[in-house]
Amino acid sequence: MSYDRRDFLTLAGTALGALWLGADPKALRASLTRARDAREALARGDAPPPFEVLTPEQAADLEAIAARIIPTDDLPGAREARAVNFIDHGLATWAADRRQDLLDGHAAFATAITQRHGATQRFADLSETQQDEFLAVHEDDDFFEDMLFFAVAGTFSYPDWGGNYQGAGWKILGFDDRYIWQPPFGWYDAKQNGGPN
Amino acid sequence: MARFAPSDPVDFVVVGSGGAGGILAKELSTRGMSVVVLEQGPHVGPLDFHHDEFKHFTLAAYQNQRQLQPQMFKAGPDAEAQPRMAVMYHRMVGGGSMCFTANYRRFRPLDFNERTRLGPIAGTGFADWPIGYDDLEPYYTRAEWELGVSGEPGPFDPPRSRPYPMPPLPVKSSGVLFERGARAIGLHPQPAQMAILSQPFQDRIPCQQCGYCIGFPCEHRAKSATLYTVLPVALASGRCELRTECFVAQVETDDRGRVSGVVYFDSQKVQQRQRAKAVVLCCNGAETPHLLLNSGNNRFPQGLANSSGAVGRHLMFNSNAIVTAQFEHPLNDWKGAMVTRIALDFYDTDPARGFYGGGALDGRFFGYPLVYAMRGAPPGTPKWGAGFKQALRDGYCNQMDVLCEGTSLPLETNRIELDPDLKDAWGLPAMRVTYRDHPDDLATVGFLQTKALALLEAAGATRTWARPPAPQNFGVHLLGTCRMGNDPATSVVDSDHRAHDVPNLFICDGSSLVSSGRGQPTATIQALAFRAGERIAELAKKGQI
Repeated sequence: MSYDRRDFLTLAGTALGALWLGADPKALRASLTRARDAREALARGDAPPPFEVLTPEQAADLEAIAARIIPTDDLPGAREARAVNFIDHGLATWAADRRQDLLDGHAAFATAITQRHGATQRFADLSETQQDEFLAVHEDDDFFEDMLFFAVAGTFSYPDWGGNYQGAGWKILGFDDRYIWQPPFGWYDAKQNGGPN
Repeated sequence: MARFAPSDPVDFVVVGSGGAGGILAKELSTRGMSVVVLEQGPHVGPLDFHHDEFKHFTLAAYQNQRQLQPQMFKAGPDAEAQPRMAVMYHRMVGGGSMCFTANYRRFRPLDFNERTRLGPIAGTGFADWPIGYDDLEPYYTRAEWELGVSGEPGPFDPPRSRPYPMPPLPVKSSGVLFERGARAIGLHPQPAQMAILSQPFQDRIPCQQCGYCIGFPCEHRAKSATLYTVLPVALASGRCELRTECFVAQVETDDRGRVSGVVYFDSQKVQQRQRAKAVVLCCNGAETPHLLLNSGNNRFPQGLANSSGAVGRHLMFNSNAIVTAQFEHPLNDWKGAMVTRIALDFYDTDPARGFYGGGALDGRFFGYPLVYAMRGAPPGTPKWGAGFKQALRDGYCNQMDVLCEGTSLPLETNRIELDPDLKDAWGLPAMRVTYRDHPDDLATVGFLQTKALALLEAAGATRTWARPPAPQNFGVHLLGTCRMGNDPATSVVDSDHRAHDVPNLFICDGSSLVSSGRGQPTATIQALAFRAGERIAELAKKGQI
């Protein structure tokens, strides 16, 4: 089992423990190979890879949920980060054992939408206001807790894993992924050392 | 690299290639001994290292993993055991020395004789070491000069025979603010001593300030990990063979009760047996006792080297807590080596506080992007939506932490045992961890938190917050479980790191520590390893093993 929501929540109080979940090494190796393939595919073109697990309807809903968790404003959100591709790739690889739970959770969620908004309605079709109202009612459900993890991980994880497309999540934070920096680093050390602010 | 046949008894098998094992491999092989190092993790290097939090933390690519090595956890001796990963370590060539923050502080004389100075503490295994600071000083110096440590003398330093080999790393904004706040409340901040190069050293380049220290191996080879320092010397000696992805299942003994070799599973999970004249365990403070307990037999029914019953006991995690602050201007503290300023004013126990313990404060930012998005935003931040995103935008570049690093009292009940039911991927009894902090340890970090809070407010923080100290259920400092001592009835190894019960079995890693120090054990573990290497080689040459 590579990802356990309860462990994630209970470990979240400790510094390193927050993200330490443990993985099946075989699944990890397979996933790393796919990550490399995905990276090479990205280098060839901008189109997102085809979904490995999700149906178009499931993908549309999960993307819409992620987009309400990290909405788009003047900076990109989970949608631009392609968090849904991270989720899909994860369900095919490192989170394969979570696949059924997540899809079952989504099915129940979709049913609740039809009960509230009509038999032909899907979450992705609702207005943002309706979406937020619905999520606020369901924010303690296991499915939404899972989606919180996946949306955040899909937006801020290293791009090799299928999300954080073109560093979308890093732009939200003001982070720049370089391997070499030089002082001054910030306002305070620049000021102390007389460098440019 | 040398190659040895498993059937040929080598002088030493060293189990583990981390902070201690790498040093033992070098010290023994360069003194003419034949050495086989068995490492359970892979041999990876700079080309494999990216700033990929998801790989390193979430998927635990180079850490012990629940699929291979599940654990049970008890939140105290009377608590029910639950499936839970409670101790973490790195499984790769270089081990924890690859992925630690690289704080590199010597213990002080008081860490070795605190029991005598303060008297007994009821209900604990509080004890003096059989060696003192003066015994270890030459080896701290060797560690600093052979591995590469940056720093400068501080106001509370213990005596040193040689200056630091290189000056401190450049100060970051967190260091500037830490220093400002510390001085304002009357403390004596100083540059952090780090096992990270500030200048070219040997064949390595200095720190490139990428910002990825804790939990990450250094892609620039600027962190002084054993993979980059002593292991290449060991392998170049022509007398040392490194075998990776080899998990040691058992230390074997002969009918005289002497160690005859080790049984291990290779990368294909095929059982192998390496014969050896002596064995050195450097697996870490969790896996070393785990291996000893799994090595029991008719002659050693309580586990190997465990006539005292002390194997696995006195586990110490180091108490710790964080205080976080935001400031008006950007710190961009995600850049640069993690820690640049520390304060050691509260190191010693002060009876006026009413409890045992002391500690240190250091300024840092635990803010890799994913970690930050998961847990970095201030309390009260919405879990999702526009408010959540805004908090991430506002906080990331303007935030820092002060880490409060404290003591842990050694308790018999905090321990590593074999779980009666759970098995690991090799079919061996899995580890069961029991841990509950002594009330004084929680009081110590609570006290340090009040000082960190005052420091950050004096530095001009616009907002501060802290989570009150709570009993730990997750440890990365794994100390004390095969403690050193003169009395075979209460300790596992003698001051030469030789097991009291088995003359040709040696143990040197975090498990050897008798006390926990003040939150930064690596310099001491590595000084012990340099000293152990010298002494064990001497014993071998005199035919006393």
